[in-house]
Amino acid sequence: MASALLVQPDTKFIHDVMQGGGADLKKCFQCATCSSVCELSTESRPFPRKQMIEAQWGLKKQLMADPAVWLCHNCGDCTTKCPRDARPGQVMGAIRREAIKRYAFPRFMGSLVSTPKALPLLLALPVFILYAIAVWPLPGSAAHGWEFGFMFPQARLEELFFAVGGLVMALFAIGVIQFVGDLRASGANGPILTALGPALIEILTHRRFAKCSEEKNRYWGHLLVFAGFGGLAVVGTAVGMGTMFGVMHTPLPVLSPFKILANLCALVILAGAVILIVRRIKDRDARSSGTYFDWFFLLVLASVAATGIASEGLRLAQDPTWMYPVYFVHLTLILVLFLYAAYSKFAHIAYRTVAVAATWEGRKQRLAVMDSVATETLAEKSS
Amino acid sequence: MDKKLGVYICSGCSIGESVDVSQLAKVAESEYKVPVCRTHAFLCGAEGVNLIREDLKQGTTNAVVIAACSPRAKTAEFSFDPRMVLDRVNLREQVAWCHKPNDEETQALAEDDLRMGIVRAQKMEPLESAPEPISKSILVVGGGVAGISAALAAATAGSDVVLVEKQAQLGGFAAKVKKDIPRHPPYTEAGADGLASRIQAVASHPRIKVFCSTSITKTEGQPGMFDVTLQNGGQPFTHRVGAIVLATGWKPYDASKLSGLGYGLPDVITNVEFEQMAAAGPITRPSTGLPVESVLFVQCAGSRDKDHLPYCSSTCCMNTLKQAEYVREQNSEAQVFVVYKDIVTPGQYESYYQKVQDQPLNFFMKGAVTSVATGADGRVNVSLDGTLLGSPMLIPVDLVVLATGMVPNSADGIAIRTLHDANLKVARNESDTQRQEAEKIVEQYKHHEGTEILNLTYRQGPDLPVLRDGFPDSNFICFPYETLRTGIYAAGAVRAPMDSTLAEEDASGAVMKAIQSVQMASEGQAVHPRAGDLSFPSFFLQRCTSCKRCTEECPFGSLDEDEKGTPRFNQYRCRRCGICMGACPERIVSFKNYSVDMIASMIKAIEVPDETEDKPRVLIFACENDAYPALDMVGLSRATYDASVRIIPLRCLGSMNIVWIADALSRGIDGVMLMGCKFGDDYQCHFLRGSELADRRLVNVKDTLGRLQLEGDRIQLVQLAIDECGRLPQVIDDFVGKLRQLGPNPYKGF
Repeated sequence: MASALLVQPDTKFIHDVMQGGGADLKKCFQCATCSSVCELSTESRPFPRKQMIEAQWGLKKQLMADPAVWLCHNCGDCTTKCPRDARPGQVMGAIRREAIKRYAFPRFMGSLVSTPKALPLLLALPVFILYAIAVWPLPGSAAHGWEFGFMFPQARLEELFFAVGGLVMALFAIGVIQFVGDLRASGANGPILTALGPALIEILTHRRFAKCSEEKNRYWGHLLVFAGFGGLAVVGTAVGMGTMFGVMHTPLPVLSPFKILANLCALVILAGAVILIVRRIKDRDARSSGTYFDWFFLLVLASVAATGIASEGLRLAQDPTWMYPVYFVHLTLILVLFLYAAYSKFAHIAYRTVAVAATWEGRKQRLAVMDSVATETLAEKSS
Repeated sequence: MDKKLGVYICSGCSIGESVDVSQLAKVAESEYKVPVCRTHAFLCGAEGVNLIREDLKQGTTNAVVIAACSPRAKTAEFSFDPRMVLDRVNLREQVAWCHKPNDEETQALAEDDLRMGIVRAQKMEPLESAPEPISKSILVVGGGVAGISAALAAATAGSDVVLVEKQAQLGGFAAKVKKDIPRHPPYTEAGADGLASRIQAVASHPRIKVFCSTSITKTEGQPGMFDVTLQNGGQPFTHRVGAIVLATGWKPYDASKLSGLGYGLPDVITNVEFEQMAAAGPITRPSTGLPVESVLFVQCAGSRDKDHLPYCSSTCCMNTLKQAEYVREQNSEAQVFVVYKDIVTPGQYESYYQKVQDQPLNFFMKGAVTSVATGADGRVNVSLDGTLLGSPMLIPVDLVVLATGMVPNSADGIAIRTLHDANLKVARNESDTQRQEAEKIVEQYKHHEGTEILNLTYRQGPDLPVLRDGFPDSNFICFPYETLRTGIYAAGAVRAPMDSTLAEEDASGAVMKAIQSVQMASEGQAVHPRAGDLSFPSFFLQRCTSCKRCTEECPFGSLDEDEKGTPRFNQYRCRRCGICMGACPERIVSFKNYSVDMIASMIKAIEVPDETEDKPRVLIFACENDAYPALDMVGLSRATYDASVRIIPLRCLGSMNIVWIADALSRGIDGVMLMGCKFGDDYQCHFLRGSELADRRLVNVKDTLGRLQLEGDRIQLVQLAIDECGRLPQVIDDFVGKLRQLGPNPYKGF
């Protein structure tokens, strides 16, 4: 038997969770309807009932190291069925926010990114960098017509993004390694490295996401954004490498297969983001519980896609007045997205993946449990 | 009385289609020579009832037998002078509706039923109603919330009230709380309960006499004429009252038994002690005197626990929530922990739970406290297991409050009497073994010494009998507020654990019963469960052998003993069940309309075919409370069963006298079934133990049967509840089938 847990409630943590979307946390009276209806909750690792009472009691240490917090896909089935309106889905989201803040390196960035007042400061950094690039002279070849390369030389951008990418990976790694250490200490002993492969396949297919019955819109929205992003990542890397080795020149012709794929992905991202935004506005529950933390990530993402498409459109139309400013904004937002990836909601790509891998119980077993759960839960029966 | 019997047979409700009514009329006329016998197709209609009334008016008849529907139906239509001899023969629910129509056996059944009905009417005498002068005053024992509410309710309804309170002031526990739990919508604010103004109202009401610092030294007599002697330091004085409302309330469970939960440590107190502290001033740690920063409440402390109180006291959870708010009022940053088995806040009280739960620094956890000990830093360390976190927890706090339960302020009348009788035996010292046994009993019961509240001068004991867990109870399923002593009603926390809002309602209920009981007594009627009954038992004492069986077996203590040891009957204590009649081996007890001779004659009226015909005859004694209605319900649902049975209703199976079984068997009846209410721990017998007594008496009968070379299986006692009518046809058919297997009664034709 485990030794007794010494109770010293972290009252600031309780306050933070309630501020971060879990305002109705205290209404939970532990009936476990949420864990029963959750399609992703399993017998070996049920959630979110226990997380609710751990949050009520301010047991921050336990919650930060709990992988179940990340197994949750925020579908909201539990919130819909909760008889007390304690909104467990939103509480889980708030706990995830606290986890991102906790594992943020450096720590102050975690608080900064989730504070609305710090937004001007956060924007100022990428603006400054891009401005510097724009005015930094670089010997360039002549171009035909208006090109972004005039203001933002490809080479500089490559250096910038590789640098940013490297920095982000490093910072992420520090946070994730700490997270893994805490996971192990709390007993999540899945073979992370070997499980990463199958875990990623499950994530790619959105198999878990599909199980959530209440919010089909979120499944589609996320799938589109995810797929679009994946596609762009592939294209972007390929084009980046291509230009670096001199076999490609940007801007690519519209009919180039890379360009077609890239444009397709951009549209897909935009479509997905719009679905997610519309859902957050139309659904009363989501509208009333959305926090700055949620909207920051979503709006930046949507704007990146929108400004990207707008930039290309303006370039093709050869409008010099607007194409550069819009492109500037586009690059700013991309930098915001990536510079602060480890501190915003974007960080879930690392934490959720690691948590899924750390709790991996084998593909067949997992699928079998999930499939059998699917035929018996309340959510299915009542819909 | 010169009986002129009128027999009226109804052929409506398919009775006429099931049996030959004209043949029945012939039975009445030729076998019994009744002066009047009429049939009608719709007897309960105006024309039919008029037939009966005309004959009575003309004087052609003065006793009536109505052979139609069940006596439980059409009581308003067939309503005459309540003293008149009226017998109802059940041809509908128990003949036409549950047996094969136009069948030989069904006809035989109907004829036997009519015979029994006529014989019964012949043996019945008209009732009298000559009540003695009754006091309609109400005595209220206890001046807490329930007592005060009872006194006001009774006085407002017009009764004179005597209110007796042991302590120096009225109000009980409710007057000593800091605040009361929420009583008004939206049920989220604890506050004042208006008790002070009601105490004032009681003190100034012209019809209420209040005696504080007073106890009852003697209650003599019977309902309608209780002579209650009171004592408050000076000369004892007596009041005559008609009914008593017992509202003596509760006391806290003895926390010294909860050392396992830490009671005994300076910083571990009970909820009552906490309330007293909060009402008097700031909430502090007893060990240091400093204000508390953290408090842990242990719910169900010594409740719902097989080693302590097995029941829930219903108010501790609400009081803990209220007390959590006291702590918060004093210190907004205080941490309040509530450890529970369940949170019991039924109905509107849930709103209060939601409110207190919403406070971020109120921490609720289901769990079991495994230890409470002083920590190294002087704080109290509470260890929990079986928690909602799945792991044991250790919570250090400044103060622990044990939410203990309520124990009724009742006296166990039977136990006190047992103690007194044992003491007498010890004093008499008739033999060593007797004295030693008596001493053991004294040892076992000695903690009851001096606990009397009412000090009744009843032979069965100086106070009310208590049933489960010390609560005075009667048959609460049907009759709340009743106790096992007629005319005495329990209200408030002495009846069941409850809060002050419920206690006020309870008081009104008990007062209504009390007023009803004196009103009906003033008209000579029984009050419950045989409401309106004018009959009562009479005792032919010349043949009494003072065996004391009636005195002991009466569930309500109606019989005392006089100086010579013969039973002395107190009519107004009696509930007319007839258990005394069933108990008496000399058969000296009888009612004007219910006697040993009457039932014996009814049995003899049954036509028993001899053994050459394969027609068994089975007698069923059915108690009128559950069994008879269940049989009616079988008829209502048109289920069928064997037509060999002849049903005789009894007031209670306890009124069954063994001689009837002997009579039945010697007539050649093949078997006797006793059908009655359930007895035992969750009893349903409306007279406490009637069916249980019948069951016990059957043991002796079976011995007699053995000696007569008759199988014991021919007698069966069936316990059933009124809702088990579905299984009745099977039960009856199985019994008849078994008797067929045993073969016919060899005494047929003797």
